[in-house]
Amino acid sequence: MKTTYIFIGFIALALVQIFAPLKMIYDNEDILTSGTVYKFKTRPIDPTDPFRGKYVTLQFQINSFATSDSTYVKGDKIRVYIENDEDGFAKIYQISKEPLDIKNDYVKAQVTYVYPDRVTFELPFNRFYMEETKAYDAEKAYAKANRDGVIDNVYALVYIKNGQSVLDNLIIDNMPIQEYVE
Amino acid sequence: MSSKFNKELQILVRDNVISPEISSKIEKYYANKAEGKPNSLFMIFGVFGALLIGSGIILMLAHNWDDFSRLTKTILAFVPLVIGQAMAGFSILKNKSNTWKEASGTFLFFSVGASISLVSQIYNIPGELGSFLLTWVVLCLPLIYLLRSHAVTLLVIVTSTYYAVQVGVWDYRCHATPWLYLIFLLGVIPHYWNILKRNVSGNAVTIFNWILPISVVVALSAFVGNGDVLGFVMYIIMFGLLYNIGRLSIFKELRTLRNGFLIIGSLGSVICLMIFTFRWIWEDVPDQFNYDAQEVYTTIVLAIVTLSVLGYATFKKGIRSINLFQIAFIIFGLVYFLLSSTGIIPIILMNLLVFALGMSAIRIGANKFNFGILNFGLLIISILIICRFFDTGMSFVIRGILFVLVGAGFFLTNYIMLKKQKVKKQ
Repeated sequence: MKTTYIFIGFIALALVQIFAPLKMIYDNEDILTSGTVYKFKTRPIDPTDPFRGKYVTLQFQINSFATSDSTYVKGDKIRVYIENDEDGFAKIYQISKEPLDIKNDYVKAQVTYVYPDRVTFELPFNRFYMEETKAYDAEKAYAKANRDGVIDNVYALVYIKNGQSVLDNLIIDNMPIQEYVE
Repeated sequence: MSSKFNKELQILVRDNVISPEISSKIEKYYANKAEGKPNSLFMIFGVFGALLIGSGIILMLAHNWDDFSRLTKTILAFVPLVIGQAMAGFSILKNKSNTWKEASGTFLFFSVGASISLVSQIYNIPGELGSFLLTWVVLCLPLIYLLRSHAVTLLVIVTSTYYAVQVGVWDYRCHATPWLYLIFLLGVIPHYWNILKRNVSGNAVTIFNWILPISVVVALSAFVGNGDVLGFVMYIIMFGLLYNIGRLSIFKELRTLRNGFLIIGSLGSVICLMIFTFRWIWEDVPDQFNYDAQEVYTTIVLAIVTLSVLGYATFKKGIRSINLFQIAFIIFGLVYFLLSSTGIIPIILMNLLVFALGMSAIRIGANKFNFGILNFGLLIISILIICRFFDTGMSFVIRGILFVLVGAGFFLTNYIMLKKQKVKKQ
């Protein structure tokens, strides 16, 4: 009898254990299929996570906004409303701590530093996992692209829906980074 | 039964110490006793096997295979998880041996980690390491009770400590306080309490006696904010708490080496208090106490918990059973909060306190005929004197005499005790 109860408890736990990654997959697939895609200009550098392996950290060109609002403090969670510029890259429309009644897509970001006339922040999709042999090459490839003056051609493809975002790929010179480094 | 033991029996028979009948009786007795026991060696290898395979899978997945499609990667994320669940479910349903439960639990623990890590790789989920560890612990904590597994308990303690330090100390972007660590700790304690009640001197209990205090000592650093000196106060209270726990009557039968609470508590107290025997640290103590509110609350809660454990011990065993190590944190607290701005007085009092702790350890060692504790006390006093070598204007002659005296003390006390022990044996 006791075994049965324990077993039922275990089945419940097992379902939760399966459900947790499934929910992560579902949420992300949803954004990838029905979200809007934006291009964020970026710069990759290469660190490691002990369990999830090599990734490149992305430093986006959009990382600050000029504002005289002095109520922002380090660590604040903010919404960054974006729009496309004339070249088709994402640029900031407005930032805000409260939801704004506008149609633009937004991403959630965290304030990293506050200057008197400027707020810097970090976008949430700053990790791009890569095959371990390629992560360092990616950083080198970026340095080369930088030297060759094709710097405008490095950007991240990000799908956005209802403030949630999925980083789909990193593009250098119109090629996915995995192909570019090969 | 070990062949060495059998050989000894044969020698005893040959030398006419015991008769062959008694020898065979002894052999039978131990053979019967061993039958009921599970093979602990087998269990250890089972757990280690699962540990290695599980972490091997995580490492292989961390390669981030580019050649696999998103679907293949997704399926791969679930394969180890489902295998682990099937094994754990099977061992519960069939009520398999502990070896089965420990090994399948360990494997399942790692396969949960593998599956959430692979999903976050596939979608470049930005979550920091802290939130990954958090999900992992939450999904695996109930396994402790469903499988009654020590190995899973150990893994949960280690992972949640890692989580606490990652969130509170190592994350350079923002330091949050890992409150959930406390919940995880509370989640583990009923299991520990269960095995403690069943067999206090078992090996599993010993492991937890060490790993639990180590975990809280490491994790406390995540609760210390920027007020560095108050951090010391928190640590001294924490070590006082650990020592007081180690002195509870449930651990009375335990050998000192198996009582991590006691050893870590006394060592930690002495080291922290030793720091406060220096002049420079008192110069850092602010004249006005305007600390971070959260730190103050944590300190107060910690102090209340420690005082209640101490109060319980006093109530149960009487005030005479209390030794100086148990109340050192109170003395320190009084000096720190009441006398810190009175110039040289707190420094002198701290030196006296550490000296008294050394003497008290010597006395405990002498009463228990324990050379380890006795020499621990002597070591405290010698280190105190060596420290005073650096920051006092004592003349070299006096320092020299002090050293000779302590050295002579080492010889004398050990010699006297050795003699006493011999007399007692006769």
